[in-house]
Amino acid sequence: MRNELMYHIPKKGLTVWRLYGLFNTLFLLILAGVASFLTYKFDWPIFIYFIAGGIVVLSAITLIWLFPNIRWNHWRYEVREHEIEIQSGLFVVTTTLIPMVRVQHVDTAQGPILKKYDLSNISISTAATTHVIPMLITNDADQLRARISVLARVAEDDV
Amino acid sequence: MSDNRFKLHPVTTIINFVKGLKDLLIPFLIIFAANGFNLSFNPKEEGFWAELIPLAVMTILTILYLFNGIIKWWTFVYWFEDDELRVKYGLLVKKKRYIPFDRIQSFNYKEGIFHRVFGLVQVMVETAGSTDGKPEVILTAITKEAANQIEQVTRKVKQTKMEGVLEDEDGVDILEKDSNDHQQRIILKMKVKDLIILASTSNGIGVVLAGVAAVLSQFSEFIPYERIFEEVSSLIKFGVVVVAITIFAALFIAWLISVIITFINYYDYTVIEEDERITITRGLLEKKRITIPLNRIQAIKIIESPLKQIFGYSSVVVESASAGYGEKDKKMTLFPLISKREVYNTLRDLVPAFEWEQPLTKPPKKAKPFFYRIDFLWLVPIIALSSYFWFPYGLLSILIIVPVILIGLWQYKTTGFAIKGNQLTIVYRGISRVTFVVEKKRIQAMQSKQSYFQKRKNIASVQATVMSGMTGATAKAAHLNVHDAEQVLLWFEKGVSEKTF
Repeated sequence: MRNELMYHIPKKGLTVWRLYGLFNTLFLLILAGVASFLTYKFDWPIFIYFIAGGIVVLSAITLIWLFPNIRWNHWRYEVREHEIEIQSGLFVVTTTLIPMVRVQHVDTAQGPILKKYDLSNISISTAATTHVIPMLITNDADQLRARISVLARVAEDDV
Repeated sequence: MSDNRFKLHPVTTIINFVKGLKDLLIPFLIIFAANGFNLSFNPKEEGFWAELIPLAVMTILTILYLFNGIIKWWTFVYWFEDDELRVKYGLLVKKKRYIPFDRIQSFNYKEGIFHRVFGLVQVMVETAGSTDGKPEVILTAITKEAANQIEQVTRKVKQTKMEGVLEDEDGVDILEKDSNDHQQRIILKMKVKDLIILASTSNGIGVVLAGVAAVLSQFSEFIPYERIFEEVSSLIKFGVVVVAITIFAALFIAWLISVIITFINYYDYTVIEEDERITITRGLLEKKRITIPLNRIQAIKIIESPLKQIFGYSSVVVESASAGYGEKDKKMTLFPLISKREVYNTLRDLVPAFEWEQPLTKPPKKAKPFFYRIDFLWLVPIIALSSYFWFPYGLLSILIIVPVILIGLWQYKTTGFAIKGNQLTIVYRGISRVTFVVEKKRIQAMQSKQSYFQKRKNIASVQATVMSGMTGATAKAAHLNVHDAEQVLLWFEKGVSEKTF
């Protein structure tokens, strides 16, 4: 077996994922509310209530609790001298290996929610692909970005 | 550098205009069809003026296109200055584009019917940056001498920059194929027989059939179906033979159209290697000449569709770093059709570094179900729904499972990978069998994937991504032994860090 990777995503990241899940659930709740209202108004069959309710409860369980947990557990990363290794996934666990020499540029990005929690997403681009390490403490993300760019600069590329 | 400014050939106007008209053709047709083809030219008739409005709009648009074509030609100039190809055009908004010669990857040529009448070519200048499939600069129509001049100037500048790294120093007429350049090697030349086989085995027939069907459905209003049905029923009375002959005739016509299209596109398909570049010329009415520098090729794919596989043929496609090459497709077909016997020899000739036939590491037996099990995810709901709604006959949908499983097993039989030195070979199958060959230094990223179920059985998939156009191209060897998958990752990890290439 390959060694388990060293770094986890900060616990705060999990909270943010839960928050995203909460927003999605709220959105679904509104939809379900509209559907229920229409059902009430136009005397549509009763089972629509159950379906709408079921979807909301199910999404609450999965999006707020289950999926963020699984995802957080799977997310690992390691930035070594010659390569970056990222492990991610929900149902399918993907291990990605990016050689430093292939890295073209590194971005960090931060939305309003991430800013509130002082977190940043860092995305690593090669000539063909883009890979994201999400939810890093902003400070760490900046440092990591600087480090990758230094390491990547060591070898020049000739694609 | 001379400061001479060059203009395009005046025919550019017509070509631009015709190109614009092509865009207008469909709206035109729609308007006519909406009017039911019964335009009246009698001003006294009711609604005459209302019907005229779209027509007037179209006329104005046509005139605008014509003017646009003229202005484009009028304002377009190109010249050489400071080791750059410079282009300027535009009337109100002036656009300038400067391309340093050593950034130019290749020149591609196209000769349409208009071009050929006047002995002109369209030149498309490709640079490394043009990944969106569009060439950096298009010179719509210039004389062949002018095209040669551009290429020569570029060459000269590149050579003086490289200080004689390239020993070949000359102004050989590049557009003439029969020039005395002895470095040229013909890699592949397609004969008429090949073209016919290509037409028969490509998806062209299917496309043509679909096209015929689409056209028919477009004109469905005008087809008197009831009468046809009557005739069909009387046809059936005539006997099955007649129906069979009709179907056969339809297929034959589709095949014939496919052959004609293939001839127009691929006539005189020639692949030439020269100076570390591959040049492809093809076309009957519209001649195209495309150049790919060998070092831009990222990966090579041998594709065998089932039909081609049966007849022992395959096609070869290259993934190249800069997309386009004047084509819409990101990947570039190198050999549209080549017999399985020749393909390895020809490729060995072209890229001697690669090993083409080697034993593959296969997925283990226990991985078999993984190749079709995932399909049940969408199969089961479909079968359940169709069985429920069309009760007795819907049950027949269960039969879909059989081909799905068979394809899965076929994929299982095909899948495999091989590592040799710096070369990775991945063989996989969607429907067509694909042999994906790549050098380690061309792989941008590697991934291994493992689902929960795969983990239980100690199985994992690996995939390699190379640069190709904007998104990159990926080859996946599915459901390997975890140990083998890790071997691939380890191989990738090791070599790239030590710069062994």
